[in-house]
Amino acid sequence: MTNSEPLLRARGVAKRYGSVVALRSVDLAVAPGEIHALVGANGAGKSTLVRILSGVIRPDAGEVEVAGKAVRFRSPAHARDTGLAPVFQDPAFAPDLTVAENLRLTTTDAGAFRRQLAALGLDDVELAEAAGMLPLPLLRMLDLARVLAHDPALLLLDEITAALPADYAERVFEAIRRARDEGRSVLFISHRLLEVQEVCDRVTVLRDGSNVDTLNTADGSEQRIVAAMLGERAALAVTEPRKVAPRTHREPGEPALVVRGISDGRRVRDVSLTLAPGEVLGITGLEGQGQDELFAILAGDRKAGGGEIVVNGEQLVARHPHEAIAHGLTLVPSDRWQALLPQRSVRENLAVPLYNAPGRWGWIHADRELHQVADAIARLSIDTRAQAQAKRLSGGNQQKVAIGRWLVGGFTTLLCFDPTRGIDVGTKHQIYDLFRELAAAGKSVLMFTSELREVPLACDRVLVLYDGRIVAELPAADADEATLLSSAHGLADTLTESR
Amino acid sequence: MTDVKEEAIRDEGAAPEAGLVARIAAGDRSTLALIGVLVTLVLADGLIDRSFLSLSQLRNTLLVTAPLALLAGGQTLCMLTGGIDLSVAMTATAAAYVTGVQSSEGPVTAILAGLLVGVAVGLVNGLAIGIFRVNPLIMTLGMSGILTGLLTVGSQTFLGGATRMSDLVLELGGGTIVGPIPWNLVVWLLLGGALVVGLRRTGLGRMIYAIGDNRVACRLAGVRVWQVETAVYTMCALLAAVAGILIGGRSGSVDLQLAGSYLLPSVAAAVIGGTSILGGIGGYTGTILGALILAVLDTMLNLLSVDEALKQVLYGSIILVLAWVYARGTASA
Amino acid sequence: MSALSSAVRPLGPTASRLGRRHAWTAAVVVFFALLLTWNSSQTRNFGAFEIQTLLASTLALAYLAMAQAVVVIGGGIDLSVGSLLVLANCLSARFMEGTSFGGSALVAVAVLAVIAALGALTGLVISVSKIPDIIVTLATSFVWGGAALFVLRTPGGGAAPEFQTLVLGSGNAWWPALLCLLAPLLLVWAPLRRSRAGIAIYALGSSKDAAFLSGVDPLRTKVIAYAVSGLLCGLAGIATTAFTGGGSSQSTIAMNATLNSVAAIVLGGVALSGGVGGLIGPVFAVWCLYLIPNIMLGLGVDPSYGEVVKGVVVVLVVLVGGQLRLRRSRSP
Repeated sequence: MTNSEPLLRARGVAKRYGSVVALRSVDLAVAPGEIHALVGANGAGKSTLVRILSGVIRPDAGEVEVAGKAVRFRSPAHARDTGLAPVFQDPAFAPDLTVAENLRLTTTDAGAFRRQLAALGLDDVELAEAAGMLPLPLLRMLDLARVLAHDPALLLLDEITAALPADYAERVFEAIRRARDEGRSVLFISHRLLEVQEVCDRVTVLRDGSNVDTLNTADGSEQRIVAAMLGERAALAVTEPRKVAPRTHREPGEPALVVRGISDGRRVRDVSLTLAPGEVLGITGLEGQGQDELFAILAGDRKAGGGEIVVNGEQLVARHPHEAIAHGLTLVPSDRWQALLPQRSVRENLAVPLYNAPGRWGWIHADRELHQVADAIARLSIDTRAQAQAKRLSGGNQQKVAIGRWLVGGFTTLLCFDPTRGIDVGTKHQIYDLFRELAAAGKSVLMFTSELREVPLACDRVLVLYDGRIVAELPAADADEATLLSSAHGLADTLTESR
Repeated sequence: MTDVKEEAIRDEGAAPEAGLVARIAAGDRSTLALIGVLVTLVLADGLIDRSFLSLSQLRNTLLVTAPLALLAGGQTLCMLTGGIDLSVAMTATAAAYVTGVQSSEGPVTAILAGLLVGVAVGLVNGLAIGIFRVNPLIMTLGMSGILTGLLTVGSQTFLGGATRMSDLVLELGGGTIVGPIPWNLVVWLLLGGALVVGLRRTGLGRMIYAIGDNRVACRLAGVRVWQVETAVYTMCALLAAVAGILIGGRSGSVDLQLAGSYLLPSVAAAVIGGTSILGGIGGYTGTILGALILAVLDTMLNLLSVDEALKQVLYGSIILVLAWVYARGTASA
Repeated sequence: MSALSSAVRPLGPTASRLGRRHAWTAAVVVFFALLLTWNSSQTRNFGAFEIQTLLASTLALAYLAMAQAVVVIGGGIDLSVGSLLVLANCLSARFMEGTSFGGSALVAVAVLAVIAALGALTGLVISVSKIPDIIVTLATSFVWGGAALFVLRTPGGGAAPEFQTLVLGSGNAWWPALLCLLAPLLLVWAPLRRSRAGIAIYALGSSKDAAFLSGVDPLRTKVIAYAVSGLLCGLAGIATTAFTGGGSSQSTIAMNATLNSVAAIVLGGVALSGGVGGLIGPVFAVWCLYLIPNIMLGLGVDPSYGEVVKGVVVVLVVLVGGQLRLRRSRSP
């Protein structure tokens, strides 16, 4: 398989955004007629690589060859003409145009598109419908059909199966295999290792912006993939002497947060949990299992359809985040761009909660503010060299600012959504330490994390979310990655075995 | 440890926190450039005509600048939140008109009535934009039309009668305290000072920048964005009302075209001063310089007896060039 | 076939889908029909003459609303349409004065070319500089206004009377104005709307990212949108010349025209966020806005209240439209 000339070859591809390195240096080779998987943890650089290979962004360094010829993509259209066709998680359909008009835009032949649709088992799609009116999974299928209609040499599929109904996912796999049989190559990006094992021929593993391993899936080397994704455990041990967080002494009495039977009618189904004062409770799960919605409901940013939330013994019905905040329930959102004021200084970013109500719109006590802000900066060791504008900080420091805001504003329970996504190991451990410190002071932390190895380092206890429900609860000491992974995939029998 | 940190933030924070002088000292490049432009224009005016540098000419320039700077101040507030107020000119006219009609009730009542018009207009604008999420451009455009209609009808019916301003208003709008200092400068200095300081040193000021920079983040931090917006549009309309009364006081009587020509310059002054129409960036110091530049430029073109045509072309070019410079500045950052 | 995928399949019949897409335009047309009926019941012998008056006096603003609509559909906003109208008005009035019919027609073509080129230039500057549309067009509105003053310092100029009649009709002949209105719709917009370039304008306004991924060239599309808009502004200026028999470079004309164009497109179903709407709705909206003061006059109400009603209608329409959209996105 590898002796033939590769269809796509990337050498030393690198990309940085300001101070954040998205891709350090990636080499990749995809053979003709091969289904090649690209896997890696969050922030490993998968999406950046796909965006480079599909002409959306240009690399800072490195070169890309297609069928032995060096190419520099000017635009997505150029990449498509070269034979590289992407399907993104967010389908490239202008929402206000009809499907037919979107096809005109990409000069897609309607007949070929119809044939591909039929092959995907979707015969009765109305092309005169506005794309924005169609459900997302269907739209992604249409995107796939459109890409196939262009007769590409290489398909780039970025998380195409995320939040896709099972029967659609199965049809995607069929289409991928069919494409291979027709001599096309596929670059398949996925979080789901089971899929990768089942569908792909070879796997390249990315970690921290570099390719760290390439192997044949036929060897059944799941362990090796996981090990490559996670990287050197020894390095962790050096920076973090204790591998398991010490169990904090839980104070008896009233829980800090009780959630009973919360649903939103769509993604969150009957979630109940209890959080004690001084506890760090982890929640984990694959992408799109309802975690975003659950945290939004708890933070008062989204209405719950049923159930109740009790904070420190008081019932909370929030129509706006300020009501949750008044109860001491504060959110650090997953996306830092939902937390930061990018053009304002670190100081102003940290001090926002001090002025969030008309009663606090008066004179700023500069010294008091400075003191509180400096305290947060010191506790989180925020690097203040680039503090004039928050957008110039590194990702880790931005995350610290998002958390530090609530050290300034005050809270009793901190809701933290994937607080360590895409930041370096040292900063991660500073954040874990902060959580332990907060817990020791009697505060509570509820954190969602997509990085399973984080769980024993930061949490006392962990819940696993699958399809909007909590499917497992484990003390952190028992929460090894294999157990968490299998419950996160909804494999209940593995779960009972491990119990 | 903490003290060292505090010291570090204090030092770093000096640039945006301190006043104009400190900003210049700290090398705020865009403020410096604007001052440079202003000084050059003033000197050029002086070269063209010696009398420009006289005190009476200075008084004239200030007299023209004060109302524009107040209108542009309101506009700056709206733009900092990412909005715009196209009703400032009509609000100013309406406030002046009501003040004029109410003159018979005594000057204080008259002025209060005029300011009340501003508050009412601002509240309606702010609530519609903040709570009902009407696009600011459309809301204030519609408000401008509504005020035009009401005034047109009102001038013949419920607002009938003479619109002769009372002596107090005439003095405020066109009178002189001493030497080159007109009364309206005092009004402007008071309100303008409050704006500059308020934007930097009050919680509301922080929130205005914050919602202009990132509304979602503000919501998640517990800020009720509609409250800030209502406050901002109300303040903007109130400033417009003050400006309208001053303009009315200068011209003596009020007609429906009183402040119409101030609308685009009010936006232009803010843009020239470096306030971004996308929100979160800028401030009133820049706008003051922008308004002064527009006023001095206007005087210069008049001295040169450049006709209106070239004047407008120059205005447009200056706005475009400065906006381009600012855009490049943010892009490279 | 599983229940899941059949649940996500769209089932709506074609009729309801068509209805949804054109609901707004249909509503505006119905609104116009109601107003027209009302107005005609107020006027004795309502007929061709009144229709001719309606068409002739709204022709310029109708063109201008179409000009604004094209830009807004493409995701921008143009504060300079009024100034371009005034510039075209002054250019054509100055050079048409004392010409024959043929001369006037020739001048009209030249003016259209110039104004369309200025529009294209605006689009180019916006794309290259990355300054928001609203700021660039604010600046150019000054520039074009100044240029108009160069051309025609004081109100004046003229046009060949035959040319005026050809554009507007006269007496009971209402069809020339209607034909003039339909000409750019049929000759320019209809073919463009069906072409890839026209779809690209909608795509750019609907979603910049999706448009880029679909291979739309943002610069080219912006320039085309602004050029077409400029062409329509030019037509609006020439229509003004024909209607008033002269030109005027007063700046208040430009500003009022711009503000009216924005009100008309919003009422006509063009979303300010871009990508939605057409050119027919705004034209009907212009006619509605023209009829409102007339009807108030008929009712014995001071027609100046018309401005108030216009303002309230525009704000309410946007408010209700926005709330409906919010509700729909919450409960899909």
